[in-house]
Amino acid sequence: MFVPVVIAVVLTMGMALVRALCGPTLYDRILALNMFGTVTVMLLSVSAFVAGRPDFLDIAMVYALMNFIGTTAVLKYFRYGDLGGTGHDVEPTRPEGEALR
Amino acid sequence: MTDHVVLRVIGKLLIPFILAYGLYVQAHGDFGPGGGFQAGVIVAAGLILYGLIHGVAATQRVVPPRLVEALAAVGVLIYAGVGVVTLVLGGNFLGYGALDHSPSHGQHTGVFLVELGVGVAVASVMLAIFYAFASRKPIASGGGRR
Repeated sequence: MFVPVVIAVVLTMGMALVRALCGPTLYDRILALNMFGTVTVMLLSVSAFVAGRPDFLDIAMVYALMNFIGTTAVLKYFRYGDLGGTGHDVEPTRPEGEALR
Repeated sequence: MTDHVVLRVIGKLLIPFILAYGLYVQAHGDFGPGGGFQAGVIVAAGLILYGLIHGVAATQRVVPPRLVEALAAVGVLIYAGVGVVTLVLGGNFLGYGALDHSPSHGQHTGVFLVELGVGVAVASVMLAIFYAFASRKPIASGGGRR
């Protein structure tokens, strides 16, 4: 029961990593990393359920939280080039339609 | 990033629960995963999320850098102070058994106080690291924006 689920989840994590490594644009990579985190939360929840250790759900919640904050930080850094600013859109930083690489 | 409605609203919804979850992890360390270090990181993460959304200046109005530096020292002071108190009460340094009439009660109190010190110190040091990173001015001429 446990092994097939773990294999499926780890396979999904591997595919997300492949997309993160060779994603053509920045947003592919960020989305892949975000999804990697989400699948990690799933792996933690599955192991909590199967191993009968509900403590792991606490860790999964913290992981989900850190995943959200980390993704927000990375997106803010790449959008504004500045982690601490208020991040207002003052001027367009690049021509319309140009993809970030 | 207050222009982004989703981030602002979700942040406003999430931050109180993050701080409460930090307190839960701090106090629940006896029975599950958790303890002072993790609680400090979670509390700091809540404030860092606030800083990401509203800017580091707004965060420094809520938690001034002077307060952060003071709290980092206060955390270590709590930790070492518990040790000195047990020394004064006739035990070893950080021998919690001397804190109360029965050794097990004393150990409960001692571990709780020490973890409180660790939590305060870790939260403020994490916040200080965030301030140091986020107060850095971006490189001019749009460099590094790849």
